Amino acid sequence: MIVRWVCEKDKKKWIYPVERCIYCKGLIKKQISTKAKIVGITKVNISSPLHPIVPYNVILLEDEFGNRMPKKTMKDYRIGDQYSLEKAKTDSAVAMTKIKYDLGDALRHTLGLLRFKFEDFDNVLIKPSIIEPAYPYQAVDTNPQILDELIMLLKEKGISDILVAEQSMPGNDTVAAAKKSGILDVCLKHKIGVADLGKSEYVEKEHEGMRLEIAKEVFERKVINLPIMKTNSQVGISGAMENMIRVTSPKTQKELFDKDIEKTLPLFVKALPGFLTIGDAVSGMQGDGPTSMGEPAFLNILYASRDPVALDAVFAETCMFPLPKCLEEAKNLGVGKADIGEIEIVGDELDTAKFRLKSADREATPHSRIRLLDGKADPASFNGALKMCSSLIGIGGYELYLAIGRHFTQEQLHGKSRIVAYGSDAISVLKNRGIGVIVEIPENAYDAEKIMMLKSVIENKDKTSLK
Amino acid sequence: MGAYIKGVGMTRFDVDKRMSFQRINECVSEALESSGMKLDDIDAVFASSTDSGRNEERLKHQGPMLSSLFQKKMPILNVPAGCAGGGAALWDSINYLRSSGCSNVLALGYDTVASMTSEILTDEILMGGERIYEQTEGLNFPAQNALVAQQYMMRHNATEDDLALVALKNHENAFDNPKARFYRKNVTIDMIKNSPVVASPLRLFDCSISVDGAAAAIISRDKTDIEIAGSSLYTSRLSAFESEDMTTWEAASLAAKDAYEEASLTPEDIDFAELHDAFTPIELMSYEDLGFAKKGRGKELIREGITNINGKLPVNVSGGLKAKGHPISPTGLSQVYELVIQMRKQAGKRQVDNIRYGLAQNIGGVGTIATVHILKNLN
Repeated sequence: MIVRWVCEKDKKKWIYPVERCIYCKGLIKKQISTKAKIVGITKVNISSPLHPIVPYNVILLEDEFGNRMPKKTMKDYRIGDQYSLEKAKTDSAVAMTKIKYDLGDALRHTLGLLRFKFEDFDNVLIKPSIIEPAYPYQAVDTNPQILDELIMLLKEKGISDILVAEQSMPGNDTVAAAKKSGILDVCLKHKIGVADLGKSEYVEKEHEGMRLEIAKEVFERKVINLPIMKTNSQVGISGAMENMIRVTSPKTQKELFDKDIEKTLPLFVKALPGFLTIGDAVSGMQGDGPTSMGEPAFLNILYASRDPVALDAVFAETCMFPLPKCLEEAKNLGVGKADIGEIEIVGDELDTAKFRLKSADREATPHSRIRLLDGKADPASFNGALKMCSSLIGIGGYELYLAIGRHFTQEQLHGKSRIVAYGSDAISVLKNRGIGVIVEIPENAYDAEKIMMLKSVIENKDKTSLK
Repeated sequence: MGAYIKGVGMTRFDVDKRMSFQRINECVSEALESSGMKLDDIDAVFASSTDSGRNEERLKHQGPMLSSLFQKKMPILNVPAGCAGGGAALWDSINYLRSSGCSNVLALGYDTVASMTSEILTDEILMGGERIYEQTEGLNFPAQNALVAQQYMMRHNATEDDLALVALKNHENAFDNPKARFYRKNVTIDMIKNSPVVASPLRLFDCSISVDGAAAAIISRDKTDIEIAGSSLYTSRLSAFESEDMTTWEAASLAAKDAYEEASLTPEDIDFAELHDAFTPIELMSYEDLGFAKKGRGKELIREGITNINGKLPVNVSGGLKAKGHPISPTGLSQVYELVIQMRKQAGKRQVDNIRYGLAQNIGGVGTIATVHILKNLN
């Protein structure tokens, strides 16, 4: 699909959205192609940072209006061939679209490729990612523009009963996060309520030996999951599956992590009613995500699928990450497809979008001297630990390990000294395993007390215990 | 008001591990020496650099760096224009000279390209292209030029052999240019035709060679032996695929038209030229954009040897970007360097005789910005 923004009066065309003609100040019309043929091809044999896989082809498309557009492809075409995109044949297909300036068009195009009917959606729960107060450019929370476009599209399709709901990470304020991320402004603009799922009524559900408390809205509405696609130091990536964790109560979230999130996340997703995911990689995140320790990555892609496992697997492959364990587990449990070869991908070709992003360092904290020993800690402990470290930025000292959670591997602990245990899980597990720690910091201590204890250790090289 | 060239300087275009300021020192010293001037005589500087320097010298505020280097307070401005940076710096210098009433202006270009091959540098260079349609769709500069070349070849029946002839001619010229990357390096037609395909139809020897370098020219209101008869700069659309005709670069043809008008000349008056052969097909297209050949007939000039060093219109006797080297911002000024030393009969074995008018064409992006300068030999 080739789009141009046109002023018919002045016969001017732009390749990007222009609201008004700079000559006549008149409104601009979109010129959208219905067909395109291939008028040029080059096979490229040299790699570049955004295009590490060679060879690839770039075809030059020309539409019925004479507008042209280059397109990267791994397929072989001939000059004169018609170019068209096939629509999904299976329900678990993943659609991916490289955005060409216009997010609204990209969203419509992406959803249009799926086997999906808006008529099935009468009332909708949109579940964005709003994990902490962060500006849109930080790529921590869902891009507010994609939410805006989605709400406009739903309204255009006659769906007016829309609720946006999320809860931020424990220790963060959901409303403050929604405000800073720009999500709240979008909801206010559309007069749509924002619900804090941390204060929801929950439906209890027994599933695979777990007692899950899931927000009742999930069962009352059709869910559109709208995660921002990010790296995640705990489970590899934050995307379709991880984003849904926060439709549960804080108690359930702790239980999921306590029982090993990489195993329980697929089980939990299996317990949910089916949902559609739109993966926001307008600007995804690389590095030490999922919090603002990560860095924005230029991806410029939208994903969509009714199979959250497949969508996450396609994202991981886009970033050239190994398949995260929880996706492997999900595949084995039959929650969705995770083998790239088995996933039907429509729209842009996966291989044309692949380039290596920085994965998350599992030991990273905001403080350069504090390394995290993360025993798959629950979100409250994880966020609490990072906030503690953040409070000590600027304090110099000596390296230490801050242990959280309960699922430590032998490899993780091997050769480590100067360990501080944070939270009852880490305290008890390390004690049971006979691992010596300098100090135990309970999660229910006052914030100032926690920070002072950690500061005392970081500043004193020879400290072996805190008396 | 007339504008004249007093002196020129350039470093050898090569892998040059020195830092930028050392290269600047060298080429500016040469330019001053050839003008019989001192740095005190310079009233302003227009410099061009793309900030592709090594880590220890990455800098956006280039003007003050030059002020520190020259130990002088004067107007100094950086005018990055991608690969057309050198031409743009010269164009700015001429216009400033004409409008400000000052006496001498230094035009300068410098970049570090070859001695720092890294992802950072590649990304910097790719940022010369549009981000959403081009960079994300794998259109690096060879690929962009390959698509243009293909359109040109299909429409005008030019062949890969024509491209090879351009490469061969420029390599033969560079053989005798001590400042060229391919100085004293033999390149044969077989090597050219059998070189690996970079982006079809372009082979390795269809692409210019990246080098480090610096080049300078001193522009003066005092009459010298070389007059700037015409100077023009045009900017067109960012992406080649936006153009109605991808095989004509409007910025280049408009700049040429203006420069000819200013000089009261026609293309037939030009005795020799330095053209922006970043990729061999661009030299063929430039023959046409500059009026040396009719549309679609540029190939005839190379087939008939008209643009060879002993032809009627020698082109790229320095070796061009192809074989002298393409350090990005200094390129346009290195073209002017060649015109000047040819006019002053200092070109040694590659000296062209009986030259009155020389033309330099410098292009940035895929035909998106172009400068044309015409020099008149008053000797």
